[in-house]
Amino acid sequence: MKTEQHIDEFIRREKETIPNPYLSTRVMAKIEGLEKVERKKNTLWQTLALAAGMAAVAFLGVSIGSSDVKSGTKERILNINDRQIENLGYYNLGEDE
Amino acid sequence: MSDEQLINDIISGNHAAFKSLMEKYQQQVFRTVMGFVHTKEDAEEVTQDVFIRVYQSLSTFQHNAEFSTWLYRITVNASLNALRSNRKNRLLQSLETIFSLRSEEKTPLEELEYAERNKRIGEAIDSLPEKQRTAFILSRYEELPQKKIAAVMNRSEGAIEQLLQRAKENLKKKLSIP
Repeated sequence: MKTEQHIDEFIRREKETIPNPYLSTRVMAKIEGLEKVERKKNTLWQTLALAAGMAAVAFLGVSIGSSDVKSGTKERILNINDRQIENLGYYNLGEDE
Repeated sequence: MSDEQLINDIISGNHAAFKSLMEKYQQQVFRTVMGFVHTKEDAEEVTQDVFIRVYQSLSTFQHNAEFSTWLYRITVNASLNALRSNRKNRLLQSLETIFSLRSEEKTPLEELEYAERNKRIGEAIDSLPEKQRTAFILSRYEELPQKKIAAVMNRSEGAIEQLLQRAKENLKKKLSIP
């Protein structure tokens, strides 16, 4: 019987314990903090996605540009030796010269 | 404002509604946690975790059960998890708290006996198997009827009655040994 009373007394004492009156404020602050972190994470992902997208577009552009040059006509080099060109000045000379 | 209205407001992004819900149920959660951890600091920490978990998973609440039943389930799980992860620290703190529960009217010897008795009661409650302890705490700390405890623990009322009976017997056995 006495044991029962002691248990009741122990439980009554624990039930009388009051939490910190600012506990709800603390929890709200914690929740807001977690939401901020979440928002930051989302912003970071968006930035990374944007950067990756831009890099992909640039790479694609370069690849397409390169492939276009390769598939075009063959390169030709025109090598002109000035010494072998006939001097056209002769044809401009007059009869009396 | 009813729980359902508050929950709908919270889901639509109203932070003040969550504060109202928390203030409504804070004492209930804190008392239940106290039954498991026995120290004010730990009980506050677990209560905080419980409400953060509630906030994060409120959108998944199905309204199949009462909100308080759902909240009790989260509270019991969070308390048991906290005990599993922080057993050593908690034991030391709970001893400190138990020793600090002293009365001015008692002599030093009586105080010592009182502290020793509280320590033994706390240890006896903690040594109960998880299901017996949960049923005992919900019954004695929260004074819930067996029907409600059965809903929280997802068991029949008969099973709860048995658990409470066994918890009582076990406590008597543990505390009768000098």
